[in-house]
Amino acid sequence: MKFNIFLSSAAGLVLAACGGANTPSAPTTEAETPPPVAKTENSLHEKLRDVAAADYSLDKSHAFLTFSVGHSGGLSQYRVNFTDFDADLDFDPTNPEAAALLVTINPAAVETNYPGDYQGTHADSPYETWNEDLSQNPQWLNAGEFPEITFTSTGINRTGDLEGEVTGDLNFLGQTKPVTLDVTYNGTANVPWLGERDLIGFNASTTITRSEWGMGAFLPLIGDEVTVAFTGEFVQDE
Amino acid sequence: MRSLALAVSALALTLPGAAQVSLSGADEGTYSLEKNHAFLTWSVKHAGISDYIVNFTEFDATLNFDPENPTASTISVLINPLAIETHYPDAEKKVEWHDKLTKGDKYFNAEEFPEITFTSTSAELTSEFAGTVTGDLTFLGVTKPVTLDVTYNGTTNVPWFGQRDLIGFNASTTIDRTEWGLTANGGAVSSEVQIEFSGEFLQDE
Repeated sequence: MKFNIFLSSAAGLVLAACGGANTPSAPTTEAETPPPVAKTENSLHEKLRDVAAADYSLDKSHAFLTFSVGHSGGLSQYRVNFTDFDADLDFDPTNPEAAALLVTINPAAVETNYPGDYQGTHADSPYETWNEDLSQNPQWLNAGEFPEITFTSTGINRTGDLEGEVTGDLNFLGQTKPVTLDVTYNGTANVPWLGERDLIGFNASTTITRSEWGMGAFLPLIGDEVTVAFTGEFVQDE
Repeated sequence: MRSLALAVSALALTLPGAAQVSLSGADEGTYSLEKNHAFLTWSVKHAGISDYIVNFTEFDATLNFDPENPTASTISVLINPLAIETHYPDAEKKVEWHDKLTKGDKYFNAEEFPEITFTSTSAELTSEFAGTVTGDLTFLGVTKPVTLDVTYNGTTNVPWFGQRDLIGFNASTTIDRTEWGLTANGGAVSSEVQIEFSGEFLQDE
């Protein structure tokens, strides 16, 4: 199923799957809408119907990326939110295995819950806040030396109608290693303010071993296993 | 329940072995939330396709913990609905959105209801280190019972707290926000709200 197909939604929207020619007003498909189109569309899981094969970008106001790690030998899960990240997704609902995802994360932008007096209890620290310490300290995210964390997908293994494993290269602290995300596709929506551009939503999670990327600080008081979780929406590019 | 299962499996990964979790070593007594190691989130389904996560950033809890008889333990939680974080990249719009979410009378209405409280009324053990805690949740002026699924993660001592014990828990529940009168955006935002906590409690001096 390598050939590209045209999808036609109930709303009469026709979207080209090839070459990113996703201009809704270009129904130049009269010769290319054979019966198999409808068959393919109907054979899709209902949550994958009426979804444009297109490039999508992260809807940054509806996207959350956190990592959590066991603290004090697993007494609690310490949670860090990334607050500046972006992602581009090339997604075809008829062939999700061919999707491509590129994620970039700014390690200088993190948020934790730290109501305490950081400076009062870290008199020798060169940092003003715990979030800055976590971002900039060479033993943590070391954002000054490595200002970008990236994930580039390399392959997808579909495990269910709406689930799959996305493997890719995680570049973190200057090292690139493969990581596999467990991904769930949550469906599509259209909202008035985005017109005919589709919104699609995903959850994704994985567990990495931070020491493999060279981050060994405070082992084992702070766990080596880091759970990374994402939930968010992607909007079809204009 | 899925989130709880995920939380538990994540926890299992972070522990060298479940056998390390033990109630012995934790004193009976009053514990207060260790606020620098405590996370409380609220998440709803948005447009049916993603989870929208709100972090509470100012909350406290007092726990009377009895390791010999955990179901006799009691907890009270106090949450400031004015203090939240979301992920909103546009700084100006973020201020507007947070104002609306915290103070809007269709949302947390924090000026009229400046505290969210949870006071436990009973507890049950479901396994050695897990149980349910039922209590009264007061939110938007409405008090209704809620049951939390709670996992006890163990106890430890760290040099900077001397002899005072640290104990850790995960807890989660799902509430129907409309039962407390929070009905805004009923079409785009789920009525079900997943509440999750992970954090540590420090034995009082």
